[in-house]
Amino acid sequence: MSLTTTRRRLPGSSGSRVGRPGAVWALPALLFFGAFALLPLVLVAYLSLTAWNGLGTPDFIGTQNWEELAGDPAMREAVGLSTALTTLSWLVQTPISLLLGVWAAGPQRNRAILSAIFFVPLLLSTAAIAILWRALLEPNFGPMSNVGWFPNLLGDSPSALLVIVFVTAWQFIPLHTLLYQGGARQIPVSLYQAAEIDGASRARAFWHITLPQLRNTITTSSVLMVVGTLTYFETVLVITGGKHHTTIVPYLMYESGFVATRLGYASAVACTLVVVATAVSLAMVRFTGFGSMRSTREGM
Amino acid sequence: MTGTSQVAPAPEAEPTTGDTPAPSPQGRGWWGSLRAGSRRHNVLAGAGAFVWLLVVGVPIYSLLVATIQPYEDYIASNPLVPPDNPTLDNYVTALNSGLFGFVWNTLLVTVAVVAIVVALTTTTAFAIVRARTRWTTGIFRVFLLGLAIPLQAVVIPVYLIINQLGLYDSLMAIVLPTAAFALPVCVLILTGSMRDISDDLYEAMAIDGAGSVRIFVQLVLPMSRSGISTVGIYAALQAWNGFLFPFLLTQSEENRLITLGLFEFQDQFGVNIPALLSAVVLSAIPILIVYLIARRSLVAGLMGVGGK
Amino acid sequence: MTTLRTGAAGSLALALTLTACSGGGDGQMHVYMYQDSLAVVQKDAVERFNEDADVEAVVDEVPGETYEDKVRTVMGSNNQPDVFFNWGGGNIRPYVEEDMLLSLDDMMENNPEFEESFIPSVLEEAQIDGVQYGVPMRGTQPVLLFYNEAVFEDVGAEPPETWEDLLGLVDTFNDEGITPFALGGADTWTMQMWLQYLVDRNGGPEVFQQIESGDPEGWRDPAMLQAAEGVEELVNRDAFGDNFSSVSFTEGAASTLLSEGDAAMHLMGSWEYSTHLDQAEEFAENDLGYAPFPEVSGGAGDPANVTGNPTNYFSVTADSEYTEEAQEFLKATAEEEYVRDMVENGEVPTTTDAEEYLDDSPNPDFARFQYELVQDAPHFQLSWDQSLDADVSEAMLNEIDKLFIGESTPDEFVDAMAEQQQ
Repeated sequence: MSLTTTRRRLPGSSGSRVGRPGAVWALPALLFFGAFALLPLVLVAYLSLTAWNGLGTPDFIGTQNWEELAGDPAMREAVGLSTALTTLSWLVQTPISLLLGVWAAGPQRNRAILSAIFFVPLLLSTAAIAILWRALLEPNFGPMSNVGWFPNLLGDSPSALLVIVFVTAWQFIPLHTLLYQGGARQIPVSLYQAAEIDGASRARAFWHITLPQLRNTITTSSVLMVVGTLTYFETVLVITGGKHHTTIVPYLMYESGFVATRLGYASAVACTLVVVATAVSLAMVRFTGFGSMRSTREGM
Repeated sequence: MTGTSQVAPAPEAEPTTGDTPAPSPQGRGWWGSLRAGSRRHNVLAGAGAFVWLLVVGVPIYSLLVATIQPYEDYIASNPLVPPDNPTLDNYVTALNSGLFGFVWNTLLVTVAVVAIVVALTTTTAFAIVRARTRWTTGIFRVFLLGLAIPLQAVVIPVYLIINQLGLYDSLMAIVLPTAAFALPVCVLILTGSMRDISDDLYEAMAIDGAGSVRIFVQLVLPMSRSGISTVGIYAALQAWNGFLFPFLLTQSEENRLITLGLFEFQDQFGVNIPALLSAVVLSAIPILIVYLIARRSLVAGLMGVGGK
Repeated sequence: MTTLRTGAAGSLALALTLTACSGGGDGQMHVYMYQDSLAVVQKDAVERFNEDADVEAVVDEVPGETYEDKVRTVMGSNNQPDVFFNWGGGNIRPYVEEDMLLSLDDMMENNPEFEESFIPSVLEEAQIDGVQYGVPMRGTQPVLLFYNEAVFEDVGAEPPETWEDLLGLVDTFNDEGITPFALGGADTWTMQMWLQYLVDRNGGPEVFQQIESGDPEGWRDPAMLQAAEGVEELVNRDAFGDNFSSVSFTEGAASTLLSEGDAAMHLMGSWEYSTHLDQAEEFAENDLGYAPFPEVSGGAGDPANVTGNPTNYFSVTADSEYTEEAQEFLKATAEEEYVRDMVENGEVPTTTDAEEYLDDSPNPDFARFQYELVQDAPHFQLSWDQSLDADVSEAMLNEIDKLFIGESTPDEFVDAMAEQQQ
């Protein structure tokens, strides 16, 4: 059946049909995405109902993995840790990025140089950053081992998790700072001028103008943070190897799948990750209005 | 915000937004336009920014200092003291450990990912923006939902599919899923940027009797140049920073990417942290080059979705 | 149009580069090796093999930290190596169950002199249900107590002969501000070595054999609890320093602590010697001491028992295109040159004629000590994590980790393991 036969016109499309591409233009991307993202999604749900050691063929075992998962203390801990990591990351990254971003949007002379330095972590890949911090904090041979009073943060709980929070903040704050900087630039200066005439203090202006005006940016940045934090993997693999209570959900998936070779069980862990990430992302689409068919020039 | 609001086709050869590479002294930030906020100096905010500067700067400084020290000095010295006899040996060690090959592989993968993503998303976004049938709207929805699929969650079936295709331990094994997972964000960026092309332009070409292929090539592609460069950079960054796919889908040294190479160096260099950190520094150079050439596109690409 | 054509040609070339697998079908025979300082022996053997073979053999070195996971992943793919390094026993059982390994029985039958060149008990470790699936390709690897002689001299200490001596030394070195034992706790299997010996000394090899046979009650054996309590005591006395859980063995940190004199002793497999030879030659030649694991008074186990890896093996995958060539390559492991290479690298081969070569070792005393220790051992216990299934192993290693960092008591450890294995 041809995809282009649909003649139903949607509101907003004007003009003739000449020169309009058929839906077939979008087909290759859809098929490609289907093969490597949608099909795996279906497969992971199926695999979660199987016992599979990665060598033979998966054996269908019904809901056994799910029953085990429900009572698995490791999973319960992983979910708790993922939640804690996400919450802490948000609490650390959002205020700092917001303040830095608003400040960087201002007219200071030295801003450009500082911004360039803030930007450095963005040049490094996640793996590189994790390796850098692991080396810096290594308790015996790292640079910190020569600083006598420095504690072994990696070998203790909860400090190991806090290291992960810190390292990811170090990595991502520059990015969110850029977002907030952009958001703050969009705020009409007239609002501040009016506030100044009213004699409002700087703090009041920040509270009553800047924050409300940044509402959308905060939402976007927060959702990126939450979805991002849910899927941290390299940082944990490199810095702690999941030890000292840092086995978050994606790491548990890796460990049970590729180390303990229980790929069926790992698929059940992965499914929970999909469900949570989907819920968060749907909320994201709802709040940020990505789904609307508006031009980007409207409402800016 | 991603520069998509400037739709005037720039006549320059590079698809960048043509900003000067170095920030000018008046502090023209990333965006090339200075919006005066409040003019009063904010000491508190400045102090906060300075603290963060230390948080970023001190580790970077320790990193650079560590890489130019001989191993023996490094073991025995305080990380904050400048080195006595700097050397570049550690960089030589890192380069002699196959780093070039890893970077080359990463470049190949990056080029392939960008090619696939740009080819697929430009056509798709064009269809979504202009066809406006139930089908294209449905496809757009699929990509929107696709945003929600974390690649960590489907890596097991991806491993299975790659095996079925007989691609395990090849660079293609990384390219295909990496490109697929970059699609949703890129479709979003491009539909956004193509919606900014006014209907009048389409009509004018259609009246001339241009078919959709000609409209696509002569109007849509030139007009969405900045969107395409954003998408290209975003896809390139995904390929450049990807870890999980290389980690689980490749194995041999000849197919090793830079992120995995660094990870394996941890074992290989062992306690020779200066050599390891030299490799870390070297791995950042390609991105640094892109940054110097195309600052704005890089930033826009980094932000991906958030840039809207 | 020319741009189009070059573009198309370019993309085709790129696509071909990208799909080039390094596995089967590229006309090369792939040998998977665990990457460490000993692998040089196998690399030389591959070079010699290539001099007059019809197929080119290549060594794929896989970093140690993730070796087992990687091999498992690659064996699940259609890109299997032709020959791969493994630990025999439970380590290869899953592959045998899926008919992935080539039976080497015929090879043994057709080459009796080859078969007879190895110690029978070592060959047996690579038999599954009576079928030979692996050939010994490394030296024997008992776990020994290595120590830094210079540090011992400084404090006037002697290597421990009994558990009480050992505890005494812990206090002695702690008073001196030296970490008594280096321990690469970032790699959990290093901690497992302590439990293995303590269980064997306290209750003999039967305790673990019960567990291995699939009976979780083995974990509730009193010897297991005593061993766990022994670990607890060591940790409480700061036997391993404060940082042990973030010290990596595979990255060389634990061994460096010993050679630098930051730690006095290190319980490790005999490859520790080769590691030092590679990383800290002077120390290996002058100051590296070694002793068997001490006796535990009142324990049921024979103090002459050793634990560790009897050796490592090469196995051939059943689907390999080069099964003939691979078996030809395997024969190299009994050749004089190969054995000599091993010895010169500080290893003690598992061939029956190993003794003749020991004088060629860089450290004949060490070679002889190791050789006799293994020869005289009534029982050689394979590392636990290698003899159990991967999922049980992983759970066990996690529990061992918790025991060492004080998150579970010996009682909790025993209970958790018994329940895990149900």
